[in-house]
Amino acid sequence: MDIESNRKLLAQALVRVANGDRTALQTVYRLTSTKLFAVCLRILGERAEAEDTLQEVYMTVWRKAGQFAPGMSSPMSWLIAIARNRAIDQLRGSGQRRSMDPIEVAAELPDDAPMADSTLQSVQEQARLQTCLDGLAGHERAALRGAFFDGNTYEELAERMNVPLGTMKSWIRRAMSKLKKCLGP
Amino acid sequence: MSDIDENDELSGDEVLAAEYALGVLTGIERAAAERRIARDRSFADLVVAWNERLSPWAAEIVEVTPPPQVWERIAAALPVEPQRRVGLWQSLALWRGLAAGGVLAAACLAAFLYFGALDQSAPMIAAIEGGGHRIFVATVDAKRGTIAVVPADYAANATPGRVPELWLIPAGGKPLPVGLLSADRTVVLALPPALAEKADPHAVLAVSLEPPGGSTTGRPTGPVIGSGGLTNL
Repeated sequence: MDIESNRKLLAQALVRVANGDRTALQTVYRLTSTKLFAVCLRILGERAEAEDTLQEVYMTVWRKAGQFAPGMSSPMSWLIAIARNRAIDQLRGSGQRRSMDPIEVAAELPDDAPMADSTLQSVQEQARLQTCLDGLAGHERAALRGAFFDGNTYEELAERMNVPLGTMKSWIRRAMSKLKKCLGP
Repeated sequence: MSDIDENDELSGDEVLAAEYALGVLTGIERAAAERRIARDRSFADLVVAWNERLSPWAAEIVEVTPPPQVWERIAAALPVEPQRRVGLWQSLALWRGLAAGGVLAAACLAAFLYFGALDQSAPMIAAIEGGGHRIFVATVDAKRGTIAVVPADYAANATPGRVPELWLIPAGGKPLPVGLLSADRTVVLALPPALAEKADPHAVLAVSLEPPGGSTTGRPTGPVIGSGGLTNL
């Protein structure tokens, strides 16, 4: 299946989930659970916790599918946001701090082969974001990476990169402003 | 790296939305952002836009198959009874992205669907699109013999002195007049049995621009500005 038909299938399944269709939730799960599990696992770093969180993610999808607005959001972006938020809630709730190794800007490497996945997310969107991320300063990109992939807070990022909290906040805000300008409205 | 001037700074709400989407907020700040998402639509939309910008980054994360018991646990936790009525009600948020500015209209459609659903009928919907815009969203309840049409992005296509008229085009058939639409409010039109029986998932709804009072010929006389197929909801 190509990206477009998968995305369409997913969007239609979400509409049916909003309508209380259990089979449709299974379709959403079949199409997206490997990606969302990987997202949870990446943030939480621990399988059992990631499995519990993944269950919560799809229960959230079940309850909130009616809030998915196809005109504003791609289905995969909407689902990834739910997975990241649930994983971050779990991370903060557990009171543990993980992924606290110092971030070395020079050693910054992609999480894995970039553009590894093209089944549900548009390659053009990935490429556009990558171009804009490449346009950031190294320390800005490294800070965003720690937040996005490790679920770090401002405080944790400041600690990992050994800068004052205020500096970290201005790095992130400036980076987000540049990103928005680069990506367009 | 080039410096950015003050004009390029994000607004306060944009900063908060970006921080929430990125996930750098803690405790009270994060909870406060979530409360705003729940009650402030424009703020929630900013967060959605940031999720859209950032989520392609997740393509870097290599997929991992979860163990089968995760789905088994989810399936066991789902309610046995279908949530059809509530589901229809909630699915109204679906129009949100479509019916820009049509809050009241969406509420009218919500009420329509809600009461329609109580009647156990199966509504059909059509997104009527033209010129790259979704201009109306129609909900057909063939059993009750009604059709509710919510204006979405119609204003962009509006022509002074012309009114939008709705047509039902059965599969392989000619356009049949349904009624006149409004640019700014939901219109509920009666669908007589002769029309209702033709309103099925093979039929198409179309909107043309007509003189005030509508076409007098029984056929569209002005330009067709949009159309969309009926689908079961």
